[in-house]
Amino acid sequence: MRRSVFAAVLVAATTFGAAAPGSVRSGFAATPPKAEAPGIKIDNFSFGPAVLTVSVGSTVTWTNRDDIPHTVVSTDEPKVFKSNVLDTNEKFSFTFTKAGTYPYFCSIHPNMIGKIIVQ
Amino acid sequence: MTNPFDFKAALLARHAQHVVLIHFPIALFIAGVAFDFLAHSTDQSKLAAAAYWNFLFATVTTVPVMITGLLAWQWQLEGQRLKGILLLHLVFGCISSLLIAVVWLIHQRVQGKPGAALPGYRIALEVLGVVLLGFTGHLGGFLSGVNGPG
Repeated sequence: MRRSVFAAVLVAATTFGAAAPGSVRSGFAATPPKAEAPGIKIDNFSFGPAVLTVSVGSTVTWTNRDDIPHTVVSTDEPKVFKSNVLDTNEKFSFTFTKAGTYPYFCSIHPNMIGKIIVQ
Repeated sequence: MTNPFDFKAALLARHAQHVVLIHFPIALFIAGVAFDFLAHSTDQSKLAAAAYWNFLFATVTTVPVMITGLLAWQWQLEGQRLKGILLLHLVFGCISSLLIAVVWLIHQRVQGKPGAALPGYRIALEVLGVVLLGFTGHLGGFLSGVNGPG
């Protein structure tokens, strides 16, 4: 008896979940997922992703996952943003308030380059 | 486009002179220690002279290495407070440079004095110098990214 009730509830829930437009199949996600802050991982002497496109007002966070210290420095003069030396697992964030292209590099390893495109 | 006549650009970005120059004192000091060991065991004055000149040039070449390293700190990192590997590299680099100079001074004091013997403790200082140089170089290599991709 219990099993059949459970099966009926399950079928009803699945059917309702599938029929509801825009709903998530599990039926439990009533709130939309939060948009994650754009992040760049520094690892193995590179920025990943090397090119990141964000919208105006976005805050980009760089996290150093490398064993080596790195920096995040805007290539433009005057410098738009500049981090301190980031040791392993340290982060640097910057909020982009104007549209444009922002190239940057690591001042300790100038061959490490990246770009933020703000639209 | 980097201006080839910009001193900062020529010295630092993509032309890391510190990384290039550091090989001279390392090689000269290690060669000097090897010659001194050989001179000590064979009692040959020519080998002792070779050791002396290697130590002299090792000491001289630490000067541009120190200058370029300090300039890289001041210009590339804008003199910010160092920590971790960078701080260790700076501290051990200074101690190594001092040891190289001390070893040369010990040899310099007996240079040109027939019959004057080098003190035995210099061997311990030379070994310590090689170890510290190796450790400093290892940290520097780690920092420069020689272990990284391309």
